[in-house]
Amino acid sequence: MSLNLRVHGLSIGYDSLPILDDMNFNLQGGEMVALLGPNGAGKSTLLRCISKALEPIKGTVFFNGREAGSLSAAEIARQLAVVPQDTGVDFDFTVEEVIQMGRFPYDKGSRKNKTNNESIVNSAMEITGIFSLRHRSAATLSGGERQRMVFARALCQEPELLLLDEPTANLDIGYQWELLDIVLRLNREKRVTVIAAIHDLNLATLFFRQFILLAGGKVLASGSAEEVLTEENILASYGVQASIFRHPLHGRLQVSVGKDSMSSMQKKVRDGEKRVHVIGGGQEALSVLEALWEKGYSLSLGPVSREDSGYHFAHFFDIPVIENPPFSSISDEMCKEHLKLMQESKWIVLPPISFGEENLRNLETMAEAMAQGIPGIVFGEQAEERDFTVGKAASFLERLKGQGAFFVNDSEEALACMKNNEIHKKTD
Amino acid sequence: MPHKGQDHKKIAKIKRGTLLISLILLLFVTTFMAVVLGAASIPLKSALAILLPPFTGLDGLFKGVEITEVQRGIILQLRLPRVMQAAIVGASLAVAGAVFQGLFRNPMADPYVIGVSSGAALGAVVAMLTGGTLFFAGFTAVPLFAFIGGVLTITLVYYMSRVGKVVPVMTLLLAGIAVSAFLSAVVSLLTYFAGEKLDQVVFWMMGGVGGASWARVTAMLPYVIVGFCCIYYYAKELNVLLLGEETARHLGVNTERVKKILLAAASLLVAAAVSTSGIIGFVGLVVPHFIRMLVGPDHRILLPASSLLGANLLIAADTLARNIIAPAELPVGIITAMVGAPMFIYLLKKRKKLRYFNTR
Repeated sequence: MSLNLRVHGLSIGYDSLPILDDMNFNLQGGEMVALLGPNGAGKSTLLRCISKALEPIKGTVFFNGREAGSLSAAEIARQLAVVPQDTGVDFDFTVEEVIQMGRFPYDKGSRKNKTNNESIVNSAMEITGIFSLRHRSAATLSGGERQRMVFARALCQEPELLLLDEPTANLDIGYQWELLDIVLRLNREKRVTVIAAIHDLNLATLFFRQFILLAGGKVLASGSAEEVLTEENILASYGVQASIFRHPLHGRLQVSVGKDSMSSMQKKVRDGEKRVHVIGGGQEALSVLEALWEKGYSLSLGPVSREDSGYHFAHFFDIPVIENPPFSSISDEMCKEHLKLMQESKWIVLPPISFGEENLRNLETMAEAMAQGIPGIVFGEQAEERDFTVGKAASFLERLKGQGAFFVNDSEEALACMKNNEIHKKTD
Repeated sequence: MPHKGQDHKKIAKIKRGTLLISLILLLFVTTFMAVVLGAASIPLKSALAILLPPFTGLDGLFKGVEITEVQRGIILQLRLPRVMQAAIVGASLAVAGAVFQGLFRNPMADPYVIGVSSGAALGAVVAMLTGGTLFFAGFTAVPLFAFIGGVLTITLVYYMSRVGKVVPVMTLLLAGIAVSAFLSAVVSLLTYFAGEKLDQVVFWMMGGVGGASWARVTAMLPYVIVGFCCIYYYAKELNVLLLGEETARHLGVNTERVKKILLAAASLLVAAAVSTSGIIGFVGLVVPHFIRMLVGPDHRILLPASSLLGANLLIAADTLARNIIAPAELPVGIITAMVGAPMFIYLLKKRKKLRYFNTR
């Protein structure tokens, strides 16, 4: 049940204007490939040509070494199924009738597999979760239901090669996941070869191991995620600055775009004079950093280690940051630097980070800066649970309180506190 | 749950069966009515005695009934062939309508949409004006020329709308409309110079099954049977084509070949109908829609049911046309248009139930 696909010297275009030029690639049976590329790169065109919906200008497609042109429409339909981009439904067949049409390529020849048909249709409906809708009119389905119906119809063809064109475009995240999961299972259990044009790069890296990136009518890159999804390739094909990183939860490559536009747009409205310094990193600091950044404050951060999410945030937005080498305590020099950052700021914020022996010096530095007249905000909630210093941190917090630090419970309160005190100052 | 599915299928099957059987029964009733009713009044008993041939064993019932040779002639040589022709033409137009609507995925398509009728009309008018009295395979000059005109036109339209190796249905539709308009203009021009033959031309174009004969019926029959069989063989393909040409191709339909065959077969039906009976509107438009409303778009039931209803409808319309101002006759095209147009508007109003192109 797997099919080798070879695309040889394929040029495709509409009205003899080439969209894809001299495409060459090989797909071994059982491979699962994501076809990437910007709008208009020719992903759909390539899929349509492979499925023979479109005649190439020149070049050939081979299925298992046989030229596609020499196969009849029914022969191809028994090997290859297509899930196209969402197409409107303007007829009144029931869902089941539409799905049964997936058996059409098997119907014409012999009558004997008629009984088989019903169980294949039923199981396709069950797999795609559309069984309960089977007597509904296809015209009344929602976009997502329609997509699942079309997918069920494709399953009925028992394909060895499955072409998916934006299969998840109309689906919510639950069904996106479900549909790609079915595809993955088909690929693993029945060794169905899969090519899927897909826009969501981060979804693609979750389900696919192989990629073809199209740009400018050519294959720009192909291979593993690491080979294809590079910042240069994304810039060359999609025309945007991207940051490539590994997802902290599952470790697959992720692409985050829009760094340029985000940072430059936000720099303009940002008031460098009103800087806020945030102490420490981690997920706890990240939410505070994000809230402040969103409100237009400029920020500084420190000290954090290279692996810290706060460090990535600072790096992404070009924020001054003190880098703490991994697994080391805070040096005198770093303390001095830290104090300097605090002195340049209008506020010092202590997010709900955990306290250990290593970072107690940060609290000491904060107390010093506050003594010099920089106001401080402390996230005080559940301070005991975050204290791994047998009460030493608690006494520091007491000291900060004595120095007039504002104690807040969440980012909203912190922002309100900063705003109120600004107004207060102006009226002075 | 699967049990419920079985029920659903059973109900659908019963519904389809009931529809077909009642349409067949209705066909017997309308045929009988059409044969009995007419300008020359023939008693019911005599009509029955003539219609039920001796070998049914029922002739004993009609022993006392007097039958004149004139009555026998009227029923067997005038009315019965006329009813047969009406049935064949009605069925052909309805089936061709269903095919064109399915093929073009356009609910407004009718049997004349791609120019067959104008081509046939031109052929017929040319024949009438040149006054040819040619005979060929049971056709007089008018039907023969009409048939040739219709077939030539569809061939022309088909080759005009080719784009590369394929014939997109949209281009076909547009080319058909353009060619149709042009040929209609030529027909109008010829009509303008028709002189004393104007009556004949106009009457022919209004459509009617007058002048039917067994010879004409038997001459039409082979074309119509071939057309029907071809079309019904591709009923499943027509269903798949409703999903769109590209999807149909992905599901293994050789779309270009199927399109060509269906187009040829449907045009054959239309040409046969037009050449013998002129232009009879609305049967091909309304009948398939009505059947769709009852049983859905599946062509495996739509095609036979449409043919039966079309036959019924045209027999009834023709009977009305013969009797409404008897002994004179109205062109049946006027009746079908007067009944069909309001009915179509009613269907449009109920568009949500039109079971075809649901507006999203």
